[in-house]
Amino acid sequence: MDVTPPKSLTELFTGFLAIGARSFGGVLPWAHRTMVEERRWLTPADFAETIGLCQFLPGPNIGNASIVLGKRWFGVTGSIVAFLGLMALPFIWVMALGALYLEWAHDPTVRAVVTGVGATGAGLFMGTALKLGRAIVRRPAALGLVAACFLAVGVGRFSMLIVLPVSAAIGVFFARRGWL
Amino acid sequence: MILLDLAVTFGVLSLIAFGGMPAVMPEMQRLVVEVKGWTSAPEFIQLFAIAQAAPGPNVLIVSLIGWKAAGLPGAVVALLAVCGPAAVLSWWIADLWERFKDSPWRSAIQKAIAPLVVGLILSGGYVLCTPSTPDWRLWAIAAASAIALLTLKVNPLWILAGGGTIGGVLLGG
Repeated sequence: MDVTPPKSLTELFTGFLAIGARSFGGVLPWAHRTMVEERRWLTPADFAETIGLCQFLPGPNIGNASIVLGKRWFGVTGSIVAFLGLMALPFIWVMALGALYLEWAHDPTVRAVVTGVGATGAGLFMGTALKLGRAIVRRPAALGLVAACFLAVGVGRFSMLIVLPVSAAIGVFFARRGWL
Repeated sequence: MILLDLAVTFGVLSLIAFGGMPAVMPEMQRLVVEVKGWTSAPEFIQLFAIAQAAPGPNVLIVSLIGWKAAGLPGAVVALLAVCGPAAVLSWWIADLWERFKDSPWRSAIQKAIAPLVVGLILSGGYVLCTPSTPDWRLWAIAAASAIALLTLKVNPLWILAGGGTIGGVLLGG
């Protein structure tokens, strides 16, 4: 497949603007559609590898992807332009929706619906975790780590600043022994 | 100095958000609700709902929190703080990561992080739908939504719409 990386900062900006503007229900599918299918900036494999790296890095995955890809094509200016393009419209949407919500927050039905949406979003997180968990479900050491993390952070409410280094050290120890 | 407080709080979250925003949600809720008191627990789930329903990266929940805490400047500061440190790290690591492609340590770290991310995202879901005292209605909605995500091939926006409708019926006065 022929790829044609963006030729100008304007093209980079409008591409990421198109991703942000349309990304109802999740950014990743729209990032793929825009950059791989429509504009052909990247091959599918290249896209998957970049996203894989950004999922490993801390921070918002798709935000990191805009930094990494912007840098690849236009250096630090590219990173900034891609990031701003990605965030500009969603920032306005979310602020507008937030302002609208505040207008109506005193209405018990509105509160009930919005809380229902929140609980649904929480459920989507759990579903996503289960999807990700399928790959590691046969490893008892991995399941132990999942359970320990959940008990410490979810139920025990310990700070991640403590739990993360400890569990990461245990995880690397397990991985080096071939248990993960 | 609430802006500085927002910048530091979300800047720290940025650097520990392995697995993206869902994985750092339990820590964000703990800091924002329990430590800083910028929102109440029921408010937090509502801001989360708005960020989920709006198009765009789900990281934008931090703008709503910043906005509640310190108005529009708070919204901008919170967003830049939660993206900035991770962005700088990505900028540096992108090339380095390529160089260590065949290192056994790289694969050990990747394997170690995978189960942690699963545990953290599960925690995020649990913490969000357990705002104060356990409420079976929120748990039922969350369970139905998780099952829908795993069994139906639809845009998650439809699942959110369905959950909102059920919420209006179950949780309404």
